[in-house]
Amino acid sequence: MGHAVATEPVLELRGVSKRFGGAQALADLDFDLRPGEIHGLLGENGAGKSTLVKILAGVHGEYEGEMRLRGQPIRFASPAEAKAAGIGMVYQELSLFKPLSVAENIFSSNPPLRAGGLVDWQRLYREAREHLHDLGLDLDEKIPVGTLPVGVQQLVEIARVLFSGAQVIILDEPTSALSPPEAERLFAFMRRLRDQGRSLILITHFIEDALRVADRVTVLKNGRRVATLEAASATQDDIIRLMIGEDARILQRTYQEERAQLHESRRGAVVLQVRGLTRQGFFEDVSFDLREGEILGLYGYVGAGHSEVAQVLFGVRQADRGEIVLDGRPVQISSPARAKQLGFAYVPENRRTALQLRVELYKNISLAHLSGLTGWLLKPRRELAIARQQIQQLGIRPPNPLLPVGSLSGGNQQKALLAKWLVKRPRVLLLVEPTRGMDVGAKDEVLEIILRLREQGVAVLLISSEPETIIANSDRILVMSHGRVTKEFADEEVTKAALLRYA
Amino acid sequence: MSKSALPTTQPAGAPPTPAAPRPVGGALEYFRQRSRDLAPLTVLVVLSIFFTLAAPSAFPTLENWRNILAQVASLAVVSTGVTFVLLLGEIDLSIASMATMTGVIATMLYEGAKFDFGFTSLELQLPMVPSVLLAWLFALALGAVSGFVATRIGIPTFMATLAMLQITDGIALYWTKGSIKYKIPPILTTLGSDYLGPLPIIILVAAVVLLLGHLVLTQTRFGRYVYMTGSSREAAELSGINTRNIVLACFALSAFLAGMAGMLNVGRLGSAQAYGLSDMLLDSIASVVLGGTSLFGGEGGIPNTIIGLLIFGVLNNGLNLVQVDIYLKPWVRGLILLLALIINVYALRLRTRGNR
Repeated sequence: MGHAVATEPVLELRGVSKRFGGAQALADLDFDLRPGEIHGLLGENGAGKSTLVKILAGVHGEYEGEMRLRGQPIRFASPAEAKAAGIGMVYQELSLFKPLSVAENIFSSNPPLRAGGLVDWQRLYREAREHLHDLGLDLDEKIPVGTLPVGVQQLVEIARVLFSGAQVIILDEPTSALSPPEAERLFAFMRRLRDQGRSLILITHFIEDALRVADRVTVLKNGRRVATLEAASATQDDIIRLMIGEDARILQRTYQEERAQLHESRRGAVVLQVRGLTRQGFFEDVSFDLREGEILGLYGYVGAGHSEVAQVLFGVRQADRGEIVLDGRPVQISSPARAKQLGFAYVPENRRTALQLRVELYKNISLAHLSGLTGWLLKPRRELAIARQQIQQLGIRPPNPLLPVGSLSGGNQQKALLAKWLVKRPRVLLLVEPTRGMDVGAKDEVLEIILRLREQGVAVLLISSEPETIIANSDRILVMSHGRVTKEFADEEVTKAALLRYA
Repeated sequence: MSKSALPTTQPAGAPPTPAAPRPVGGALEYFRQRSRDLAPLTVLVVLSIFFTLAAPSAFPTLENWRNILAQVASLAVVSTGVTFVLLLGEIDLSIASMATMTGVIATMLYEGAKFDFGFTSLELQLPMVPSVLLAWLFALALGAVSGFVATRIGIPTFMATLAMLQITDGIALYWTKGSIKYKIPPILTTLGSDYLGPLPIIILVAAVVLLLGHLVLTQTRFGRYVYMTGSSREAAELSGINTRNIVLACFALSAFLAGMAGMLNVGRLGSAQAYGLSDMLLDSIASVVLGGTSLFGGEGGIPNTIIGLLIFGVLNNGLNLVQVDIYLKPWVRGLILLLALIINVYALRLRTRGNR
């Protein structure tokens, strides 16, 4: 690519370490960013990518080691200082004012003023137009940002960051919500900025993307830099190997397994058939069968559309097209109430929104199947007895049904959420990220419950963006990428590297 | 699966493991948990003591307390419905005009009148029971309309019921043409202004409504769903509860009880007219909130409402007895309402801090 002439780095980290409590987020990390370079930052969840860029963007001011900006030692105490020094961050969740125009967004913090403090609208629109033109963006500066496609909004966000004087731009997973043509447009824009002499850091899960657009890539693992490579000479398989590393094999806990042999043996009758299910903008043409006593893993990166599949199956959102067949009969799932009636149970990824946090544990447990437990009149004694039984079976601690559920730990909240659906055994259990953010012990316990349900013949759809969870617990695995199913693994050996390749 | 003590590092991006649950116990913790109920009770006791000292001969008498109860009786009936609505975290602004309209229609049906529907008009004169029932059902239906508009079309209840306020106001005004009706269904007079021994019947009616409301909220599945919908609509929805039906039912109930209160008031006052109950809206919402039912839904109940009604009654009655300038009264009431609201929000914050 030849743009990255070996000159003094714009930005440099030397021996940077950062701890959060007992956890080492970054360890003795070196990193350098050249002028006129696109630098890809790769690594698994928790490898330290976001900690690294948060230090660069001034979010974390406390760390060991040194940062240099154009050769000068510097330490940012706040994001504002980093911004003033020319480091701009484009976050995953766009921070645009959707009802306001493109021009107003670009000038949101400091609109040009006339004497008397009134906004000089003519100048605002003119300068915004010029700025967009300089960047090669052909956009109507008066159009409300919210009416633009997400991909274009991203370009506006970048334009805004640049307008505030940024020379270094950090992009955090910019393509996860973009369609392939939109992503291409973003990459072309990034290349143009690079050619203008700016430096960009691209954090992404999509290795292919990073290799295509970046000049160099740095791979992180467990808070350390594994390697920095010229993108032109690296392959996707190299990177996957570097990301996963060899030492991971040493850890033998089930949820950290690297590979597993999938078996066909425990399949029962088909419970759920999904055919061509589509929700525009989220996922397209998803088809699969789910059998009694089977755990079907649905893997994809965050934003791949797999968690939306569960929302549609539980009636939280509606499909645009496609067919759902339960026990041989086509069904319309118009609402969660209907889904529950059909025998679906749903544990969503954000468990706190699915629980009544201020309400007692036993009322949470009895809520979903209250009509089966009691008649018009409540039977508190029966409710409490059922709750106690669930608390004991799932090992919820502390085992006090009268505590508000919000006072339990994350793992126990998850068990409470499961308990709610196990009062009456479901036909199909939809689990989204059932072990995310839990400590090791709690993860084990939750997974053990799920395996027990499989033994009882429940059909489980296990949806996750953690490859280890999927590999260690699934009988069959579907991989989703950009809203489509790209691969099915069944009756064969599956490795994490293979999963990542199709995601 | 064996539980080995293998040391593991938390990945940097993962959220921190929540702290172990705090131990429950201690008198302070008890008061903190109960602050929502105890704060209003304290206000009631303090106010009662104050007025007892300020008007020792007039305030603390049986007769005066009977007056207080009679004064808040019809308010208690509306407030029972308002309690359901506030427990959902919603608001019903149409209750006062719903009450007025129902009283007017019941009286007009009984007296016999011409009901103009624009395209046609209807001469109607009905016996007592159908008059009352028809008016009552009309209120129920309009309440269901508010609920329907709010849940199926998605208009915030504040706006939906504001529109219903205008509609019901308009109906009462249009059909009475501003006239006052005196031929009241006798059953309303009996319930509204007769005595059973020394006790006004209206107090008994209010007590029965409050009791039924309490039983529905605490002993039935529907009541549980009301609390759960108010506490977190999303979580209730994700538990497969049809929250829209719950909301719709509560708005129908609110209008139904408002209609009942309106008719009781007609019986109490001896006349029906399209004006006169506008205070009821703010008074009932104030009473429910004064009692400690959360404005954000999910917490509180009929016992809170009873305390709130008593605070309201004592305050009104007491301010009269100590001869506060009549022009000063709204000012003092407003101030006390503001104070109670602050206590309400503060009590919620205390509890939340205890749980999160």
